[in-house]
Amino acid sequence: MALFAPPPMYADPTMAADKQHAFNPYSENGGSILAIAGADFTVIAGDTRQSEGYSIQTRYARKVWQLTDRCVIATNGFAADGNNFVKRIKQRLEWYEHAHQKQMSIKAIARLTQTMLYGNRFFPYFAYVILGGIDEDGTGAVYSFDPIGSYEREACRAAGAAQSLIQPFLDNQIYFRNQTPAPGAEPFVPGRLPLSTVLGLVIDSFTSATEREIAVGDGLELYVVMKKGRTTDDLVGSDNLIKNMQVQELGALGEGGSERTFLVSLPLKRD
Amino acid sequence: MNQLHSFQAVPSTRNAFDAYSTLPEPPRPQSTHAPRAHTQQPIVTGTSVLGIKYEGGVMLAADNLASYGSLARFKDIQRLHPLGDNTCLAVAGDMSDFQYMTKLLDATLRADRSVSLTDTHPPFSPQNIYTYLSNLYYARRSKVNPLWNAILVGGWDKEKKESFLAYVDLLGTTYSAPTLATGIGAHIAQPLLREAYEAKAGVDGKGPLLTGQEAEELLDTCMKVLFYRDARSLNKYQIATISNDGVKISDSKSSETEWGFAEGLRGYGPQTQ
Amino acid sequence: MSSIGTGYDLSVSTYSPDGRLFQVEYAGKAVEAAGVAIGLRCSDGVVLGVERILHSKLLVKGANRRIQSLDDSIGLASAGLLADGVHLADRGRDEVWNFRETYNAPIPTQILADRLSMYVQAYTAYSSVRPFGVSSLVAGVDKTGPRLFCIEPSGVFYGYRGYAVGKGAVLARTELEKAVGKETEEGGVALTCREGVLEVARIIHLVHDDNKDKEFELEMTWISPESNMKHAVVPADLLAEADAKGKAALEEGMEED
Repeated sequence: MALFAPPPMYADPTMAADKQHAFNPYSENGGSILAIAGADFTVIAGDTRQSEGYSIQTRYARKVWQLTDRCVIATNGFAADGNNFVKRIKQRLEWYEHAHQKQMSIKAIARLTQTMLYGNRFFPYFAYVILGGIDEDGTGAVYSFDPIGSYEREACRAAGAAQSLIQPFLDNQIYFRNQTPAPGAEPFVPGRLPLSTVLGLVIDSFTSATEREIAVGDGLELYVVMKKGRTTDDLVGSDNLIKNMQVQELGALGEGGSERTFLVSLPLKRD
Repeated sequence: MNQLHSFQAVPSTRNAFDAYSTLPEPPRPQSTHAPRAHTQQPIVTGTSVLGIKYEGGVMLAADNLASYGSLARFKDIQRLHPLGDNTCLAVAGDMSDFQYMTKLLDATLRADRSVSLTDTHPPFSPQNIYTYLSNLYYARRSKVNPLWNAILVGGWDKEKKESFLAYVDLLGTTYSAPTLATGIGAHIAQPLLREAYEAKAGVDGKGPLLTGQEAEELLDTCMKVLFYRDARSLNKYQIATISNDGVKISDSKSSETEWGFAEGLRGYGPQTQ
Repeated sequence: MSSIGTGYDLSVSTYSPDGRLFQVEYAGKAVEAAGVAIGLRCSDGVVLGVERILHSKLLVKGANRRIQSLDDSIGLASAGLLADGVHLADRGRDEVWNFRETYNAPIPTQILADRLSMYVQAYTAYSSVRPFGVSSLVAGVDKTGPRLFCIEPSGVFYGYRGYAVGKGAVLARTELEKAVGKETEEGGVALTCREGVLEVARIIHLVHDDNKDKEFELEMTWISPESNMKHAVVPADLLAEADAKGKAALEEGMEED
């Protein structure tokens, strides 16, 4: 068998030369994204820096997009793939709305995302995707995906350049890893933290990532999706505003819902 | 530097015919089993281009050189291309892909002009043209048959009364910023552009923008610095000014350069060691 | 009535015994029923004008134009079935694109007229189609200067100094001959586009049949130095002036009668 096997491709120097010049259709544009689910809200955030290698391409490029009244998407990896993936998924959601007279649930969007990503199994979208929002029960939901569509529902997820910095922190703070409840205290339950605590964790995650990861910085865009009827005082109350932070409510996209989505923007360090 | 953004030829395998690797394309193997259908590298190339927003519009700069590997092959090539009344492109990378792309867009705009007599609709905005280009370049990279360019789109949106400046390249990567530069210009000129821009507008960009004269002087400086340091550049360049008055492309011009300092450099002057 | 066609008009691919194609001739009737379209080749450009008859008061002003652009410096005015004219203009734009793609130069007006005429002719040679119900005036300025052609339903095309098709075309052509006559006289000079616009508007008003069609809009385009040698609509002020003068000339003529 081995006797008659052709020599491997790399053994031919001319082929090796060709291979070296092959066009690489991918790039990596830095940045990080993050989502945390609460009992009746979800926070989805991303920084606004877009870079390639050591160069900052722009200090403001969006990575997080509102899809429906109860679902927000964030992508990270190759920006062109991310943007075009979001464009495609928005198109599919519009068709769904025309066909069914309602917006797609986050659970269905998650499965659609898997199908669309896996559909490109042999020329993948180089995009790490996180969905955040409110599920059909009114509970905060986070779904995370790898570039070829493998996905799961979680209480929180960080992805991108600062994933290795943020995720362990979240494991500790959200999943209470390496923490022990005080004797006699209630056991820990992930996904039940109040919004103010979650906002603090997200902002601290990004300011810290900005300090240690060159691909993260410039600005933070943080989307908060709230369950129908939930109080908004803990977000829009003036006490909660930190310096230079801006909160803006995004109008409803559909007509059903009455879930509410807010966009919180604040600057990050630019160096 | 990243291979994708340096438009010089990839170092080729040296041989008797190309001892110094000056040809942009390595010799092809006598026979190969692998199909080589698509462009895998640029041949005749233009180097980096610059763009900046100023008070009342956008300016773009590009030199007049089209290189063939390290050979300065064509020295009177215009790389600024107006589209319609209020949009202009500055194009780096492969010049044949540039010509193909502009021909395509010119035809599209001409067809639209013809139809607009009977089917009235607003003319293409800079954003319209940019979206078209982005989709074209992303579609071609997704066929692994890229158009090997990095493009700056500068424009003035007559409806919104605001300037437009954005980037798209062979990968379909897109972004927008008040100052932009491609290729080696992103490393050498972009810091100078940002510094000057932020000195007036502030880091939040909310202050006053540079005046037209300041912006042009800044681009002159950047083109000079690029000429000093970019081996694939030419001290002969043009500036496009896009404002409410339309697109104006300057005649070719040169910067005053001073090479006295170089005499003291090893390898340039008379000394041998 | 019973003698018309006598079976030889059922298909455009059948000749009558005396060598006529009745379907083509009927297409000519569709042209004669339409509002007049006039083209006038001037010293510095070409002028196109049509009488756009408003068959309903509900129509939007300025809509349903009968003159279209094929290229930056080429216009086409059609008389007959409007939709056929639109289709022919579409085909014209394809030819314009094809020529430029092949030769990287704007298509000469004559070559465009030739290619369009071949297209029209093809519709006179197959039983599965009907001929075009339009006569089209193709006006353009290229490096050979201002040119004007008319393509007829049969597929023939001729170049003209000035030409008219549609309702009242015979009278309009007589008037055009007078206008063009000045050019052919010894030492005569052709009209400029500005003069041409007034002349074409005058003729349209003259041949307009007030008894049959009450309302019409004057639609005019030109390729002139004033439009930067591009095919464009005649400026509103000049069009209004031409319209008023045309109307006045008509009333003057009536008083003389």
